[in-house]
Amino acid sequence: MKYRDFLLEINTEELPASYVKDARAPLEADFRKELSLSGIQLDKSIEGFAQTLATKNSLVVYIKGLAVKQDSSEEEIIGPPKRIAFDKDGNPTKPAIGFAKKLGVEVKDLKIKSTSKGEYIVVKKIKEARDTKDLLKEITPAVIKDIPFPKTMKWDDSGLRFARPIESILALFGKENIKIELGNVPQKKINPIAPGKYLKQLGEMVDCEVRKKKIKGLISSALKKLRADQCVNENLLDEVNFMVNSPEVFIGEFDKKFLDVPDDVLKASMSKHQRIFPVSRNGRLVNRFIAVIDGKKRKNNKVKRNYERILEAKLKDSLFFFNEDTKKQLSENVSQLKDLIFHKDLGSMFEKIERLKKLCSFICDKIGEGSLKNDCVRAAELSKADLVTHMVGEFPSLQGVMGGEYARCSGESKEIATAIKEHYLPQGAGDDLPKTKAGAILAISDKIDNVVGFSGMGGNWNQVKISGSLDPFGTRRNAFGIIKIIKDKSFRLNLDELIKKGIELYGTKIKWDTVKFKNQIINYIKDRIDFLMGDIKPPELKKAVLESGSFDIADIFKRQEALAEIKNKTYFLEAAKVVERTSNILKGAKNEKIGSVNEKLFKEDLERKVWGVYLNSKDKILSLINQGQYKDATEEYARAFYAVLHDFFDKVLVNAEDPTLRLNRLSMMRAVNLLYTERVADLARLPQIVVK
Amino acid sequence: MKKISFVEVVERLNEFWGKNGCVIVQPLDTEVGAGTFHPATFFKSLGPDSWRAAYVQPSRRPTDGRYADNPLRMQFYYQYQVLVKPSPRDIKNIYLDSLKYLGIDTRSHEVRFVEDDWESPTLGASGLGWEVWLDSLEITQFTYFQQIGGRELDKISCEITYGLERICMFIQDRSNVFELEWQNGVKYKDLHKEQEIEYSRYNFDEADIGMHFKLFESFEKEAKTLLDKKLIYPAYSFTLKASHAFNVLDARGAVSQSERPRYIGRIRSLAKRCAELYIEKP
Repeated sequence: MKYRDFLLEINTEELPASYVKDARAPLEADFRKELSLSGIQLDKSIEGFAQTLATKNSLVVYIKGLAVKQDSSEEEIIGPPKRIAFDKDGNPTKPAIGFAKKLGVEVKDLKIKSTSKGEYIVVKKIKEARDTKDLLKEITPAVIKDIPFPKTMKWDDSGLRFARPIESILALFGKENIKIELGNVPQKKINPIAPGKYLKQLGEMVDCEVRKKKIKGLISSALKKLRADQCVNENLLDEVNFMVNSPEVFIGEFDKKFLDVPDDVLKASMSKHQRIFPVSRNGRLVNRFIAVIDGKKRKNNKVKRNYERILEAKLKDSLFFFNEDTKKQLSENVSQLKDLIFHKDLGSMFEKIERLKKLCSFICDKIGEGSLKNDCVRAAELSKADLVTHMVGEFPSLQGVMGGEYARCSGESKEIATAIKEHYLPQGAGDDLPKTKAGAILAISDKIDNVVGFSGMGGNWNQVKISGSLDPFGTRRNAFGIIKIIKDKSFRLNLDELIKKGIELYGTKIKWDTVKFKNQIINYIKDRIDFLMGDIKPPELKKAVLESGSFDIADIFKRQEALAEIKNKTYFLEAAKVVERTSNILKGAKNEKIGSVNEKLFKEDLERKVWGVYLNSKDKILSLINQGQYKDATEEYARAFYAVLHDFFDKVLVNAEDPTLRLNRLSMMRAVNLLYTERVADLARLPQIVVK
Repeated sequence: MKKISFVEVVERLNEFWGKNGCVIVQPLDTEVGAGTFHPATFFKSLGPDSWRAAYVQPSRRPTDGRYADNPLRMQFYYQYQVLVKPSPRDIKNIYLDSLKYLGIDTRSHEVRFVEDDWESPTLGASGLGWEVWLDSLEITQFTYFQQIGGRELDKISCEITYGLERICMFIQDRSNVFELEWQNGVKYKDLHKEQEIEYSRYNFDEADIGMHFKLFESFEKEAKTLLDKKLIYPAYSFTLKASHAFNVLDARGAVSQSERPRYIGRIRSLAKRCAELYIEKP
């Protein structure tokens, strides 16, 4: 088989950074899929399927070793039914002869095939293998059109849509430049060249990974030169990476007086308005910045001075906002929240803070932090007051941060200011969690209120489409936030009660059956916990823990961690065996009216023995569980029951003929089972348990 | 770089775009927030006919006033607006040439196209494109219109809106807009500084709120009456007046957050009807 390399270059006007970043993987995957569907073989001696490179002006896919022809394949063409194609004597009829003629085969080549609709005549033909070049002409336009972008546009009469106008397309298959038909997009004309060689000519800076590394290195050495903290805003870095093709950096300076503006404002202004990197030393900003520019020629004093001037003008504006906002107390904004819509079906922000106050107070009571109540409620009262300030109008990303800052300026306590500042945390997967307890309590309240409100307003959970990158109301982010914060702070909080409270506070705004809706949310959050627990073997261990005990997240993680550590110990397997056997016997007795154990009904010694063990060890096991000593509790449970139950099952028939006897024995089995499964983990969910 | 005056910048742009097939039109005489509101853009971007125009449009954004205290932000400033329909394939390069025509050396200074999806909720208009940055200063808004007056467009226009003061600051190497040379030794501040201070006071502190609410209602009513009589241009003019009355109320802090979208929606529905009538007109 002959192979050739393929290279596609889509040249565009400047693509938005986030678009390019997220387009690379699907573009490559789509090519892979289409090539395989078309039966185009890849040269197996070459490592790696493809390379996708990207700059602000181009997307390049380089695929090594494509077979020049597709695989030949057999095609089956179905004709008339057998009963029509052949007469009683088995001779071909006119329709059969016509069918054969149409396909250019002899009648003797007709085959019979039985299908679900009966027997039909078929012709098997070898489909001619087509040239890969021709297939690429068909595949490529479709793949280009299928690149998923958040928004697309039209720019000419062809009506073609893409993220930004496409200037030209180059498609090299071997040295041949093939014309791709797509809207009115012209072909890029170049002299014949092999794809690999062309890629080399483009230079290594066309590779966004290489470019990013270079930018990072340049910034890092600039920071070193400034003896500054080595920290780089990754999001900004990703953005800048798709703004320059040959990165260079310079260090700029600004008037120290602007350091009076809060650090977060300075950072937001620099990264949003000019995409420049703030510089800090020992965690405090200094009056320097690092700019990434395109090309050596532009690394000159004039460009630097322009950047500095513009920064100062922008900071002056930030200072203006700051001064305007601090002319009044933060609390004076609260009444304005009556006019600020939280969501059209969920009322105003003012109503929201009323709910948050109650949620905070509820949580404080539940976790025994009554002394924090006043602070938390005050923080909740002020938590959304920054939304109507100038600064948050200009920098929406500073919500919360400004609230904290303005609370401080308004003379609120440090605790309250910090709680306001922290209450939107964590904003993403790797983000910080609230450090203070009050911040954590307000953050949980806000997130519960969001999850409940946004998933309840439609009256149907399914209307909240959460999949892949789609999370329109932040439900997933909020759910993860709730879990992480509770785990981090080890709050002993029954989420079941909290969600119920959250639903109650919305009153008639949520028209669901409360119990059903509450269970939907709980299941959703449980799935997120399952995800956060990561890969655990066996995976059933996670469910075993999640389905047992109250919905107390901190405790769930504690139990899961404890059991994961001892899962190979003999005593763990023995405990699991006890749970498994008792559970199996109970499974078969679903319709029985199992009640409490009546000692007077015991007939066998072994019955008395098991019950004696139960009564003797129950308190000790429960006390270990209460102290969170899950390993010891498991060991104690196994030690108490494994051997004696083994005997019991061997010698005593639980499902006795006599119903009173049977029910009493089943009741005892249930007591033994629940002693562990109700509070620790339902180990019967584990796969086949074998005690070595 | 040769330091040319504000007036010369305008003259050169007129020259450049005139050579590129644009008809140079004069500013609209109503208070507007941007060049897009000029009929030469709003109406002419609708429908299938080709059109190329360029003009200066004095623009007012009451909330942007800073009492002449900020070197970059003002409630009154000048836009240079170019509308080209259909958008030619090399429009980006033509734009870059216009910068060179002004004497800007794009090789030693940095021109960056930064994603910015433009939207005018009052006009029911939106487009995709960029802010153009010159050494990190936004000097131009570059947009491919997708929707105007609530209508999806078939023939796509390219709108290029230069911020004249900012380009001049760059060319004349000034860090403060008020220090720009307007022409013949007269400075920008001589013409605009007092106005800027007084209007900032007016917009933020003095504008009569009751009167502006009344004005808004009256302008809206008049626009509706005129629309019923199919008098498109007068109706549009009153739509713009309503829009400005709203902007003053907004700067004055008289419109609550929840009322805001409703007012904008009322202006938009007027603009939409203007666009519909324009399209239907034989």
